Amino acid sequence: MTESETTARTPLIRIEDLQKRFGSLQVLKGITENVYEGEKIVVIGPSGGGKSTFLRCLNCMEDPDGGSIFFEGVDLADLKVDINVHREHIGMVFQSFNLFSNKTVLENIMLAPLTIGTRRLRKESLRQGLRGYRKAKKELTDRVREEAMSLLKRIGLEEKADEYPSKLSGGQKQRIAIIRALAMHPKVMLFDEPTSALDPEMVGEVLDLIRKLADAGMTMIIVTHEMGFAREIADRVFFISDGVISEQGTPDEFFNHPRQERTRDFLSKVL
Amino acid sequence: MPSLIADFAKKWEKFYHVFAESGGYREVLLGLRNTLLIAVLGLLIGILIGTLIAAVKVLPRYKRVTRFFQKVCDVYVAFFRGTPMVVQLLLGYYVLFPLLGISLPVLEVCIIVFGLNSGAYVSEIMRGGIQSVDPGQMEAGRALGLSFSVTMGKVVIPQAVKNILPTLGNEFITLIKETSIVNFIGATDLCVAFRYIGTNNYEFMVPYLVMAVIYIVLVLLITWGIRTMERRMKRSDRV
Repeated sequence: MTESETTARTPLIRIEDLQKRFGSLQVLKGITENVYEGEKIVVIGPSGGGKSTFLRCLNCMEDPDGGSIFFEGVDLADLKVDINVHREHIGMVFQSFNLFSNKTVLENIMLAPLTIGTRRLRKESLRQGLRGYRKAKKELTDRVREEAMSLLKRIGLEEKADEYPSKLSGGQKQRIAIIRALAMHPKVMLFDEPTSALDPEMVGEVLDLIRKLADAGMTMIIVTHEMGFAREIADRVFFISDGVISEQGTPDEFFNHPRQERTRDFLSKVL
Repeated sequence: MPSLIADFAKKWEKFYHVFAESGGYREVLLGLRNTLLIAVLGLLIGILIGTLIAAVKVLPRYKRVTRFFQKVCDVYVAFFRGTPMVVQLLLGYYVLFPLLGISLPVLEVCIIVFGLNSGAYVSEIMRGGIQSVDPGQMEAGRALGLSFSVTMGKVVIPQAVKNILPTLGNEFITLIKETSIVNFIGATDLCVAFRYIGTNNYEFMVPYLVMAVIYIVLVLLITWGIRTMERRMKRSDRV
């Protein structure tokens, strides 16, 4: 994707002067950036620099204290906005997987699409009369289950459908967490250090799945410490330190020709 | 010593006579039924109220309505934890229900007051249970677009209940034992039944001894039941 192509389109996410404080600590000091459809953004930086907070503000897991986040033209930072509706379209993957431990793998994947789909059905059937609700509900359940199974097949874990998360390895858990988010058909995926809690031998399988998603054209923002992976997958790299994006660019610019002293210092430590 | 044993044997015979032949067992069965009814239904109501209060208390606090309801819950819990159950029973029977213009059978009043009381205690237990669940579970639900209440109901509370099951069992045991005060408003429970047997021939030693044994057996049975449930639940999440 060339520079002129990206600027010609309206961004999927427009971040304006994003600020976040925890008590007296100003973690984000005004970040302004655009993320375009299909782009793969990798966010790196020193720990405590605000990169996870930045990511978590994008779907308001942390409510921003200032600035705006426009997602498809709607300001998510506005407290009057029904955030749940927009979160459906923003997938998020956590460092610690966070699979629902009281639900089986299949239930984990089906819970959100089924609950939200059912609520919509109910609203519709209120308008059109209750007849056909039960039939529609069954169709919805079948469709959601079928899709969940096909997602499981994609990652080769269909035989784990009825297991509980406690029986799975970290790599399996994280891959299931990823397809659980995909089951909502998100327009963008946020990854918060998806491989940091994994045993080294399981990092590969998770990165492979993210790579496949990237190749399929998914817009994604990834916070990671895997520099090799960042260099390979990123369209752009954001370097966040001290609450601002202090440098950004293509992987080649960023890793091979860093402009800032701060960036060079960081890279010399991690590469 | 032999005379003591003979004396006890005579007392036992007297008790047995009233218990088995003059229909005392019917009184005891009624008392046992009421005791269990009050404790079981009281606990169920308590779990409902307690869960509701606990859920309100862990709500994010930036809306004024939530803060208001949280205050109401605080007052409720403070009242029921800060006054003796006997007082609550008396207030319920002689003040609250008459003022509301409701006349209920005494057993129903007991069940409701025990439920309200238990709700206050269960709410604290449940709040601890909810807070013991990894916050990541709530985050994961919210990130998928599920609402706070749906995530609470389908993910967090089921896990919380599992964590607090032993403590809930203790609450049940407490309720069983506390039923012995319902005679204050004239309900029949295990205690009343045995006092009735004793008054029949002014012989209290054996009836009260048997009564204590029945309470112990009840509590042991419940303890065993909880242990079994716990073991079964652990099996389901063993790695």
